[in-house]
Amino acid sequence: MLKKAIIGTAIFTAAALPAAAQDAYVIGLTGALTGPPAGTYAPGVDAMRIYFDRLNKAGGVNGKQIKLVIQDDSAEPGKAAANAKKLVAQDNALLVINTSLSSTYAPVIGETKRAGVPLLFANAVCPKEVNPPAEPLQFCSTAFAATYDSRASLAFIKETAKEAVNLGLVAMAIPVSRGEIDFADTQTGALGFKTVAKEIIPPPTPDYAPFATKIKDAGANWVFSWAPWITQVRSVEALRRLGWTGDFVTWAHLEAESELVRLKDPKLFVVGANALFQDGLPIHKEIEAAAKEGGSQYPANQMAEGWIAAQVIEAALKSAGWPATPQKVADALASVKVDTKGLRGGPIEWTKENHFRTKQYYRVYRWDPTKNAIVVAKDWYSYDVK
Amino acid sequence: MSRHPPRASGYFRTSYAQDHALIQTRLEWLATAALAVALCGVPLIASPFLLDLATQVLLAIVGALALALLTGYAGQISLGHAGLLAAGAFTVGILFKEFNAPFWISLPAAAVTGAALGVVFGLPSLRLRGLYLAVSTLALHFVVVYLGGEYESKRGFSTGIMIDPPSLLGVSITSGRAWYLVMLGAAVVALLLAANILRSHTGRAWRAVHANETVAGALGINVAAAKLGAFVITSSMTAVAGGLFAYHRGFVSVEAFSLYLSIQYIAMIIIGGMGSLLGAVLGAIFVTLFPYAIEALVGMLPGSQRYAGSLFAVNYAAFGVVMILFLIFEPLGLVGIWRRLQSFFLLWPFKQRPVGGGRK
Amino acid sequence: MQLIVNILVLAAIYALISCGYVLVYRVSRVLNLAHGELMMLGGYMLIVTAATISSNPIAAIAGALVLSLMVGGLVYVFLMRKMTGEMVLAAVLATVALGILLRGLVILFWSAQIQYPAQTLALSNPTLNLPGGASISFYSAMLIVATVVVYSTLFAFLRFGSWGIRMRAAGQSPLLAAQRGINLHGVYALAWGLSTLTGSLAGILIALDSGLSQTIVMIGLKAFPAALVGGLDSLVGALAGSLIVAAAEVLMIHYVDPLLADVVPFLVLIGMLVVRPWGLFGTREALDRV
Repeated sequence: MLKKAIIGTAIFTAAALPAAAQDAYVIGLTGALTGPPAGTYAPGVDAMRIYFDRLNKAGGVNGKQIKLVIQDDSAEPGKAAANAKKLVAQDNALLVINTSLSSTYAPVIGETKRAGVPLLFANAVCPKEVNPPAEPLQFCSTAFAATYDSRASLAFIKETAKEAVNLGLVAMAIPVSRGEIDFADTQTGALGFKTVAKEIIPPPTPDYAPFATKIKDAGANWVFSWAPWITQVRSVEALRRLGWTGDFVTWAHLEAESELVRLKDPKLFVVGANALFQDGLPIHKEIEAAAKEGGSQYPANQMAEGWIAAQVIEAALKSAGWPATPQKVADALASVKVDTKGLRGGPIEWTKENHFRTKQYYRVYRWDPTKNAIVVAKDWYSYDVK
Repeated sequence: MSRHPPRASGYFRTSYAQDHALIQTRLEWLATAALAVALCGVPLIASPFLLDLATQVLLAIVGALALALLTGYAGQISLGHAGLLAAGAFTVGILFKEFNAPFWISLPAAAVTGAALGVVFGLPSLRLRGLYLAVSTLALHFVVVYLGGEYESKRGFSTGIMIDPPSLLGVSITSGRAWYLVMLGAAVVALLLAANILRSHTGRAWRAVHANETVAGALGINVAAAKLGAFVITSSMTAVAGGLFAYHRGFVSVEAFSLYLSIQYIAMIIIGGMGSLLGAVLGAIFVTLFPYAIEALVGMLPGSQRYAGSLFAVNYAAFGVVMILFLIFEPLGLVGIWRRLQSFFLLWPFKQRPVGGGRK
Repeated sequence: MQLIVNILVLAAIYALISCGYVLVYRVSRVLNLAHGELMMLGGYMLIVTAATISSNPIAAIAGALVLSLMVGGLVYVFLMRKMTGEMVLAAVLATVALGILLRGLVILFWSAQIQYPAQTLALSNPTLNLPGGASISFYSAMLIVATVVVYSTLFAFLRFGSWGIRMRAAGQSPLLAAQRGINLHGVYALAWGLSTLTGSLAGILIALDSGLSQTIVMIGLKAFPAALVGGLDSLVGALAGSLIVAAAEVLMIHYVDPLLADVVPFLVLIGMLVVRPWGLFGTREALDRV
């Protein structure tokens, strides 16, 4: 009986939803809102929800409301596939957003491609398909991106290091992170670095000391890590506990700002593309106020990523006009130019060929014990994306 | 365990052939025909999303039937179900990427891989029982997933292996309807296979081994062969299901085959009802649809969008709660409810079965 | 030297977690797959007590441990008691369901963010330098101390304590134990409580050392092979198993390939299952069917 009731409700909701969704821009999102890696992704999703709520209250885009349909995939590819199917087939989403682990990309790309719906990676690592020559329907607004991040980080090491660099590399045992660290490894020779250790750490690791011991014993004086935050931060903590005094360069994930304050480690450098909230720009104040009003579980200083994605979507919908089709939205995204108001080093600009951004800006932060605050270790520098 | 007899009024079977027939009465023929028509009619009326759900359910039924045969009938616990699905999916993925193999090569290849792995998974069963066996299959699961992950990284498919849809007679199977029919076919084949195994010597041997190994051996059943056979056959079925999953979703990646997936399949056969094919089918339907149903129900509550952030945590927790309630209050599973309903109507206006009656 | 310290720390983590598996299995023959979640819950209990009872670390930790003892007892009374007499697999599945429920609740109440109870309690984590050039963090050292204390207390308790003897009796033969007037439900509830308590202690120390998030659950699962290698119904076995698995893992990371670290515990386990299925120190028993 229960089963029949359930099927009944499923049919009922299936029948009820599309009818209600006619008079708004429908944006679908599949994200890791539960499951182990949720901490990295959920704040970004919340930021987008808050942004669109505010936008709707202010009248929406082109006089129409934006309906954000959020689906949880628990970072599981099977669930992401079903979500993508639902978003394109039932909700008739104009655009699908993926905010989840890279393992969910393949099924979501497959579903959206078949349906001809544009796909935006937001607050999730950019796949190489968005770099020129870009896949027509894939876009990425996320700060972190394969190869450019390693180049920027290694360039920073090259510039800062006073003596010969013995580099340790740390990745998490997930394909994206491994791939990036392998790429970094190929770059070290040309820069005159020596790779002394390359540790690939499985995700459920109770104690990082064995890995740290290996890096320390190998004589690394610089370590570069590009992995989910937990692996990065626990590696540096484990190294410090072993008495290692070298410099650690790593990617500035959402958590970076509060973590720099917590660790107070002057030789931990975070390379990132987003301005941290301690800069106190007007846009930062705005996000803080919105997060408070929107009742978020997450601190405002983790919302820059989601905010930027929402800015991009707003701009694209505005130029796509009403009524919009997935194709119109895709065309609009392919020529979007968004002023991030200081959240990034420069605007996000997409062309037909380039769905990543024409110029990728980086900034390096660290903790300064004398000032007792986070300081900029290297101001905006950029790479042309070709 | 016993199938219900032809009529409530008595036990009329006079030969083994009658006893073994899958469909025994005219009413059953009618019901089967109606069900067949209904199932084939689904794609014509269902929305694409519902059709996708139905396809998922059918695929889950194939896997659940395999596990029901292994655990419910042959009595061998396995926590390595996801590993076997992964093995099938990776066979398809690797053959596609390396040799561009069409599905009529890669799916049988998946079956062969599954059978081979079945031997490996089954070998510990000759020595181990119960939980220890479960854990050894779990260990093998991790080995399979590790190998798959290594293949992915070494070949640079960092976000999973993408697979083109299979094509039959030059037409590629992409539409939801086509996939529904493919999976329906697979589920029916799996069901017939399972039912036929169970009414043959093999199936009876499995049940005997399940009930008591020593006695089974004394009856002249080769216990080791029966156990290994159970592992080989069901693993092969599972691997094919994994291959179908790969084709249906168009990708393979190790993350899709977590331990949680194995647990879901075990939940299917337990919630459905152990030792019953109908139970496996009902369990597969229930476990697959349940999260969506919860989501729909919670989503209908007023103001749910405002709590969107915590909504999914509620869904997640609710899944746990319902599973617990089910285990506590309905230990016989969905099939238990079904049988109670059946008896209720059959026996009405009485409540109890007659003592010493023809029904067992 | 550092290698030995690393092995000991990892072994202590595994041992402290796996004694929870052993306690429950030994007494009630149920495999508790929600142990990782209960362990995580212990960490979150610390956050609760730190915020409500006292910001004094010792009081907060003690409060969290008492709470987790109660949680364990309640889990038995409200869930596992109803599962007595069911198939083993159904009972195991019930613990899985409990785990799913707990994970959902944790996200609901505390969000998916990493929490740092050490920061809330204003605790620092100094590094202790050991002879031989090795070093160890304070909480890792505490983990080893806690493991030693917990195991010696448990040994003494099971050997000499009257409830301990009852627990052993209930584990050996529930029927005879019940006939001798032992309150089986009380014993089972106690076993669940103690198992949750020790798990929580591990969870709390790990949380203080390196933060608290959902990933801690996976650590709980990783300790499982250790319990099995030693024999699921033996505390000595859990200790030995943890040491073996931890040594294999650390040496593998150091000398072969860190990627194998994930698989090694299970390879050790397969080896053990082939040779001695009931584990190093486990009792050889006729295991029940499904």
